[in-house]
Amino acid sequence: MLPAFVLDRASILERLGDDLEIYPMMLDMFLQDVENNCNSLATSLSAGDMPTLLREVHTVKGLLATFSDDAGSAEALRMEMQLRRGDSSCMAEAVAALQARLREVAGILASEVAG
Amino acid sequence: MHTVLIIDDSDINQTLIKALVLKLGDCQPVLFDNPVKALEWCHDNVPDLVIVDYMMPEMDGLKFIAAFRGLHGRNELPVLMITASDQRDIRYDALLGGANDFLTKPIDRVEFSARARNMLNLRQGQKYMANHVQELEVRVQERTREIRNREKELIFRISRAAEFRDPETGAHIQRMAHFSAVIARGLDLDAKTQQLILEAAPMHDVGKIGIPDYILLKPGKLTHEEFEVMKNHAALGYELLKSSGSEILQAGAEIALSHHEKYDGSGYPKGLAGTKIPLLGRIVAVADVFDALTSERPYKRAWALDAACKFLEDSRGAHFDPLCVEAFLAGWEDVLEIRQSFQDEDVPAI
Repeated sequence: MLPAFVLDRASILERLGDDLEIYPMMLDMFLQDVENNCNSLATSLSAGDMPTLLREVHTVKGLLATFSDDAGSAEALRMEMQLRRGDSSCMAEAVAALQARLREVAGILASEVAG
Repeated sequence: MHTVLIIDDSDINQTLIKALVLKLGDCQPVLFDNPVKALEWCHDNVPDLVIVDYMMPEMDGLKFIAAFRGLHGRNELPVLMITASDQRDIRYDALLGGANDFLTKPIDRVEFSARARNMLNLRQGQKYMANHVQELEVRVQERTREIRNREKELIFRISRAAEFRDPETGAHIQRMAHFSAVIARGLDLDAKTQQLILEAAPMHDVGKIGIPDYILLKPGKLTHEEFEVMKNHAALGYELLKSSGSEILQAGAEIALSHHEKYDGSGYPKGLAGTKIPLLGRIVAVADVFDALTSERPYKRAWALDAACKFLEDSRGAHFDPLCVEAFLAGWEDVLEIRQSFQDEDVPAI
């Protein structure tokens, strides 16, 4: 069970060079894409397409890291490593957990946007 | 304005990188989410910087870089690859495969700006060097052309100096040189050799500089002894030119020495026969004799063209190389045009 996501705005902004133009743009894009990301994870898993699932997990890892979700990003990395080894055991549960994490992050970012 | 090619299948990364590129200033981002399409674009466009993600559908970043480096003229262009911090093995592969540097995900603006600027500075240096090399090449070509023209002019003037000492004219030099080039073309010699013979043929009689006036300018027939002295002009011309580093002067030396040889071995100075006579000498022999026969001189009238042609034909295999005569006659239209272009000015009355 991952610890709850806490938005670290200062850390994100620091990486973006305190750019207040890019930050809201990034939040919007995450919120627009999050369901696509969840669907892509589910589709590749149900198709048994492990190379595509690996790529989707890799993408999600980067997305979560962009919003300073170290715990979510670390979980995605664990899944990525497992898939790279050719091990797809317990992947359904892991994908479900990652989708839940994406939606949790999206909820908090949506509050930030509504602000 | 720098063109920055960004290839990333993630919209959010594309947007972020594009925004960061625009903040660098003087940059035009070009975005692709598909590396195959990006590669197609690179066939016709030259980016100043490529920023490419590692993990993408259809083609990963490593394969993209390999294909990009394989395109003509794209080997030196800076490429930044985006990788996660946990992908050390991929970084090593990318370095070996042609990436210049890395960006770590999640992207950090300070790191991004520093690395992207370094790469763009590298590109600017490359462009400066390329332009500078091009400029230098143009200047070297200009100078070489100047030197070559000066060399040609000098050769013409040296040849004229020799001709001034006998009744031949500047127009004779021009005509016989162009006749020689017509024969060279008729023999299917390459363009470079045709040009070489055109430029070197005027020096055929440069050795006359060393012949005493009482022989060179004698109005009547030379005695046997005088003719023996006169024959020395071939060897004198050769000695004068042979040690030059210039390809034209070396060809001139060969022509000076061999243009009085005859195909049947009865010529001078060495009495060479057939193909033992250097080809340039065989060619110039035909051109020089034809022009001498058909030109008016203070001591003789010009031969009619058909009489001169008959002389050449009758002398095939005796005085002249038959192939050179054939090549000369095959270029008859050009011969007439050359005679028209280079006419003697004032020839004193006989």
